[in-house]
Amino acid sequence: MRGFSARDGAAVAALDEDERLVIARIVADVGLLLGGEDFGGERQAALPHREDLSEALAFLDGLADSPPEPDDPALLRLLPNAAPDDREVADEFRRLTEDDLRATKLTRLRRMWDDLSTGGTDWTVPAEDVMATAAALTDVRLVIASRLGLEHDEDAERLHHEIADATAALEGSSPAEVGIDPERLWLGMVYDALTWLQESLVSLRLGGQA
Amino acid sequence: MGTQERLDTQAGVGTRVSDPWVTIVWNDPVNLMSYVTRVFQEYFHLPLPEAEKRMREVHEQGRSVLSAGSREQMEVHVQAMHSYGLWATLQRSDA
Repeated sequence: MRGFSARDGAAVAALDEDERLVIARIVADVGLLLGGEDFGGERQAALPHREDLSEALAFLDGLADSPPEPDDPALLRLLPNAAPDDREVADEFRRLTEDDLRATKLTRLRRMWDDLSTGGTDWTVPAEDVMATAAALTDVRLVIASRLGLEHDEDAERLHHEIADATAALEGSSPAEVGIDPERLWLGMVYDALTWLQESLVSLRLGGQA
Repeated sequence: MGTQERLDTQAGVGTRVSDPWVTIVWNDPVNLMSYVTRVFQEYFHLPLPEAEKRMREVHEQGRSVLSAGSREQMEVHVQAMHSYGLWATLQRSDA
C-alpha cells in the first residue's frame, strides 16, 4: 500500500488486489449497515436488517413520526443524536435529516466501492472528490472504531500500541499463542491502514487549494 | 456573534435575537486533526489559523461552538457536520 500523493492535480494511492478487496468489502458492509443495496450484489436475498425492518414498519405509526434512534452504536455514530438533552429537538432533527444523510453517505461509499472494485493498482481521487472520499473513509473508520470499542483518544492510542506489540510478537507465532483476538487484530490493522490513507489524502494540497 | 444575529433578523426566520441557537462540535477518537481542520475551512469558510484554533478547542477542551443563529440554520450546520462524520449537536445558547 502506498498513501496518496499528488499527480497531475489528482490524489493517487496504490493498493494491491488484496488490500482493495479487504477495504471494498468493509465499505460494502458499512453500506449495508446504512440500509443501502448490497454493493457487491452477491447476497441479494439476505434477510432485512433490523433498521430496514423498523423503517419499513414505520408507516404504521403515522407518517409524521421520527425514525427511531438506531440501536446499533456504530449506526448511531453515522447518524448521531443531534440534541442529547432535548428529545423533541433530536426527534425533529432525525425526521428532517436522516433520509438525506443516509443517501449522501451511501452515494459516497458506493463511489469509493466502485473505485476500489474496478481498475488496477492506482486509486485516483480527483481534487473535487477529495473531501467526499475523506468523508466516506471517516464513516468506515467510525464503524470499525465502534466495533473495536474506541470511545476516547486514549483508546485509539492503546489500540495502536496493541497492534504494534502484537505484530512484533507474531513473528513466527500464531495469534492464539500471542494471546490476541485475531479478529480484533485484523480489524485494528485495517483501521490503522485506513487512518494512514485518510491522513495522506487530507494532508495533500492539490492545485492551490487553501 | 453580532453579525450572525443580524443575519437571522434579515432572513426573517422568526428567531429572537436574544434567543439564538448554537452548533457545537464534539471531540471523538476517530476524526483526524487534519481532516477536522479542513472540514472547518471548507464548510464554515474559516481561514486556516481560525480553523486550526477551533480544531484544537475540540481536541483539547472536548468541544467548540462553531456557529450561532436560528434553530433552522443550526439544523443545516449540524446535518453538514454529520455528513462529514463529525459529531455535532445543536442547543439553545443559554442552555
